Amino acid sequence: MEFTLLWAALTAFAFAFVTLWLTKPPVPDRPFDRIVGAAVAGIAVGRVAAVLMQGTNPLTSPGELLIIRGGVDTVWGSLAGAAALMWPLRREPAALDAVAPAVLAALAGWHGGCLWRSTCLGAISDLPWAWPLPGSDIARHPVEIYAAVLLLAGAWAIKWIKGSAGTAAAMAVFCAGLARLVTEPLRPSLGPGLSWFYALATVAGLVAAGLVALRSRRLAGKAAANPYPPG
Amino acid sequence: MRRLLALLVLVAACGSGSQADPTTAELPEIDLAGFQRVLADLDRPAVVNVWASWCLPCRAEAPLLRQAHAEFGDEIAFIGIDYDDSQRGARLFLDEFDLPFIHYFDHDGVTIAEYGGIGVPRTYFFATGGELINTHNGAIDEQTLALQIDELLNR
Repeated sequence: MEFTLLWAALTAFAFAFVTLWLTKPPVPDRPFDRIVGAAVAGIAVGRVAAVLMQGTNPLTSPGELLIIRGGVDTVWGSLAGAAALMWPLRREPAALDAVAPAVLAALAGWHGGCLWRSTCLGAISDLPWAWPLPGSDIARHPVEIYAAVLLLAGAWAIKWIKGSAGTAAAMAVFCAGLARLVTEPLRPSLGPGLSWFYALATVAGLVAAGLVALRSRRLAGKAAANPYPPG
Repeated sequence: MRRLLALLVLVAACGSGSQADPTTAELPEIDLAGFQRVLADLDRPAVVNVWASWCLPCRAEAPLLRQAHAEFGDEIAFIGIDYDDSQRGARLFLDEFDLPFIHYFDHDGVTIAEYGGIGVPRTYFFATGGELINTHNGAIDEQTLALQIDELLNR
């Protein structure tokens, strides 16, 4: 069964690769390596967090870290993946903008990978495109396909954003959070779910975009006040 | 290399502590007829999880089953089947993971042989009355477990 996860991961990487190839971002160097590295960092940290939260000591049971299907903590995994991507490029917001559509496409590929894993379905629905689990007659929302479509739309939209450096990256965080936030109610889960985290990510993306715009306006104001800086 | 060796020694030392005697009671043994009787007598659907104390993915999914039982235990029966294991190992596993539902001991797997599937862990989903609805091979994730439970509750 782990092979279905592998196929889903390969789908995600393929989406990112094709997006990079299509958009040909001018910066940064080795963008695909950076995205794959961030994904691996996110999975590793998310798995360690999941093992710790399940009450297991990873030092005494190190083999459990390898059981990825046992769960990867979404919150810590996302934060670690985002940090691994953003930290090395923190002084190059334009580089972050360049890889942002590919990151959203990778997330879309991951959600679309539900087709390999037979895990696309969510809440019960009578909409014409809903379909049932094998052997069932209860039609359900293909919620992961919804998420994939929203993320692809976000990837396409932020490619056309004409803003200051860093705006597209901030809007990518907004899109990623929003795509999960609006689909979360259709996604079956045990317990309260992670809507709070996706709401936080959505707001954080908007706030980051606002800060980028403010900073850009301030810099423009300074430049206008002093059009001939020394040196 | 020295650092790696030191780390390995540390890991081994952490894992080599002697285990106390299990506090969980011995698991009742069960055969196919007994298992089918248990299913037939239930007035609600059932989630049957096949596990073993030596199985790493079983350890990974155990907290999830505990959570599912806490949330849906009133509407769905949860049953554990310990397969190809020792009583002591099984009891230590239950001590560690505190899975508060009935578990049966089926060393030779006579019950699961009837219902098919591959490997351990695996999870069966039965409708009320004992009809097998679905089988999940391997460690189950939260979304799949929640979806299958929702399916059982809405049939």
